[in-house]
Amino acid sequence: MKFAATILALFLSVGSLMAADNSSRFESVGGKIMCSCGCGQMLLKCNHVGCPNSATMIRQLHEQVAATDDDQAVLNFFRKEWGVTAVVEPDRHGFELLAWILPFAGLGVGVCLLVMVVHKWHVHEAGVKPAETRLDPHLESLRARARKETEI
Amino acid sequence: MPLLGDFCLYFALALAAYCFVVGILGFIRKDEIGFRLAETGRRAGMGTFFAVTIAALVLVWAALNNDFSIAYIQQHSNRALPIPYKIAVLWSGQEGSLLFWSWLLATYAFVLRVRHKVDTRLVATTSMVLAGVQVFFLLLTCFVANPFGMMSTVAADGNGLNPLLQYPEMVIHPPMLYLGYVGFSVPFAFALAALMMRYPGEKWIHITRRWTMVTWLFLTCGIALGAHWAYAVLGWGGYWGWDPVENASLLPWLSGTAFLHSVMMQEKRGMMKMWNMWLIFVTFMLSILGTLLTRSGVVQSVHAFAQSSIGSWFYAFLMIILIVCVVAFVKNRRHLESENKLESLVSRESSFLFNNLVLLAACFAVLCGTLFPILSEWVRGFRITVGAPFFNKVMLPIGLFLIFLTAVGPLLAWRKTSLGSLKKNFALPAGLSVLVGVALIPFGVKPWNGIAYLYAWLTFVFSTLVIATIVSEFIRGGRVLQGKLNTNIFGGMYHLTRRNMRRYGGYIVHFGVILACIGIAGQAFNQEKEQEMAQGDKLQIGSYTLVGQEYTEDDNANYGSNAALLDVYKNGKYLTRLSPEHRQFKASNQGTTIVADYSTLKEDLYVIYEGLNPETQHPIIKAFINPLVNWLWIGVLTVVFGTGMALVPNAAQIKSPVTVTAAAGALDPGGGASMRPAGARK
Repeated sequence: MKFAATILALFLSVGSLMAADNSSRFESVGGKIMCSCGCGQMLLKCNHVGCPNSATMIRQLHEQVAATDDDQAVLNFFRKEWGVTAVVEPDRHGFELLAWILPFAGLGVGVCLLVMVVHKWHVHEAGVKPAETRLDPHLESLRARARKETEI
Repeated sequence: MPLLGDFCLYFALALAAYCFVVGILGFIRKDEIGFRLAETGRRAGMGTFFAVTIAALVLVWAALNNDFSIAYIQQHSNRALPIPYKIAVLWSGQEGSLLFWSWLLATYAFVLRVRHKVDTRLVATTSMVLAGVQVFFLLLTCFVANPFGMMSTVAADGNGLNPLLQYPEMVIHPPMLYLGYVGFSVPFAFALAALMMRYPGEKWIHITRRWTMVTWLFLTCGIALGAHWAYAVLGWGGYWGWDPVENASLLPWLSGTAFLHSVMMQEKRGMMKMWNMWLIFVTFMLSILGTLLTRSGVVQSVHAFAQSSIGSWFYAFLMIILIVCVVAFVKNRRHLESENKLESLVSRESSFLFNNLVLLAACFAVLCGTLFPILSEWVRGFRITVGAPFFNKVMLPIGLFLIFLTAVGPLLAWRKTSLGSLKKNFALPAGLSVLVGVALIPFGVKPWNGIAYLYAWLTFVFSTLVIATIVSEFIRGGRVLQGKLNTNIFGGMYHLTRRNMRRYGGYIVHFGVILACIGIAGQAFNQEKEQEMAQGDKLQIGSYTLVGQEYTEDDNANYGSNAALLDVYKNGKYLTRLSPEHRQFKASNQGTTIVADYSTLKEDLYVIYEGLNPETQHPIIKAFINPLVNWLWIGVLTVVFGTGMALVPNAAQIKSPVTVTAAAGALDPGGGASMRPAGARK
């Protein structure tokens, strides 16, 4: 009897752990799906009364999360079922990969340009007379004041 | 009255067009006749302001008097609408908000033209550029989106204002945003004018410094008010959803922030002139792009106005601006060569360069994400949704890098920083931030718990670094003056700040931004729970217990409402009663959520009423715990305070304004000795 109670307790605790795991997966995968009713809200944030789609989508999300451990498979199900716009993150392959690459490519190009400009300045600096000789004294007086304003 | 409004719009267009044309003639001729023509243009430009003001007043008057013969009033107002919202009707729809934009632009230009003696030549050309922008917006209001269109039959009542806009913050949020968007026209016009005239020095930057800061401040307030409105009204538990229209407001803010930083390089070292010119060009173009996104229906957004053909006008205008900027730049680029070069990569100059790079990378990332659905439609025939998870993943690393630069930048010296001074300045803040990082772990901020926790932990560590560097800057400077002025450390810090309002105001702004970042990092620890709540039912979330007490219904001329009354207990102790509400507006037959929020510095208990369960007739309640949210709003208020400080003249300069004026006057080849440099008393 004691043994059976222990087994039952173990079974329940594993079950509750799995439920907790599914619940966090439900939240994380649900955070990547858009409500398809046109409200422009994330599925789990859609709170307008009488939404025709969110209840069905949330039920399907529960079913899919319980049916498979693969989050991508769940997202693919929603892409297939509700259209590509139901998933709020671009895919990591094909044309959609471009969305992920572009921002960091922009930063990379910026860094390269910056290095090039700095390098050019260094090279240029070595080949010309000191910059100070070309400075306008009036401008410098104003800049000196600007420096004074912002430094101790 | 509608006829008067219509007439004023056409008259304003004629005046603005005259101002623009004679401005061009004056710019080309450069002689006495040209100067006189430009002067008549300036006066015509001032007349534009009065004409547009009358047109705007007519529309407000029509809203206040329920004149539903005007289609715009019929579509956006109704008899039961409270008076403040009737005034807000002016900017609540496509046509009215374009008129409002025109009016703000005319007001900015009016102030500029009144203060033309600051530099008559430069202002004349600037006025011409502004008149060009004004002509575009007046063309739109006259021929594309006329707010004085008449109804064929007059309705007894109007459709009413969008319920989401019937919230006190919404009365001031759009004007703030517009003041920000439109305000960038002024530094843009000055920059373009200075470039076309090959104007010497950084005078345009000195003149526009305050314009730019005030504009940036308006845009900051507009964005923050929008975020607060979303938090309080939209009822999804957050304040920033990376909606395309929200992003549109962030784009000029990011590039404008980069501009505010990089102009210091030009002011102090005569560097980055081309960069600054393009930054302000890009900022203005992004303001126009934001308007295009909001109004053309090109992106889907809860904020967007109805789909219309107005987009093609904006595309054309953007193209014209781009061509004008490119031509002016190519023709006059030699004038913008740097007078100094970067001497070391470990210097204040290089930190500004990196700061600019990261801010623009953030801007580019937001732009990519916002426009990617359009790009995917062109390429693949359907729109790929790019939502909050994408932006969070891309923007958080960039934001963290920016916080790190905010900490390091002020510690670096101009020209070159030695390793010794870097160690000396950096050791204490770095040590402190490591200590805070370790101390946070027992409180549950464990970076290994997931990516959200890692980002939050890094934010807290870098924020400590920034705060420590700011405090050390104040203490170090305060100590110097403490000895000199024979006062205590606080007296020293006060005098230090009064002598360098711009620099120390800037530090306060950084401090505010960091507080806001701490507030944002709190999102990693959000909790939420949804439950049906009959009388006596309990909802447990975190250490809070909500107990359902009553369910009420109310009705007035404007809307009907349902509310749930909930008693809130924390650890068994009664705290307060919350009343989340749902309103159904009669004229528009649209609903809106009124959030109930119990807010502390530690966290917000945020409760929404989701509706009645049709089967049980019990209210469904959704509760959130949003940690640290208040720090976001406190951060914004600190930013406002810091910017205000940076706008105040320095104490030392107040005592000797004559010296400053003389130095500035020496710069003005046109004899415009009345230019007031940054910091001099008004």
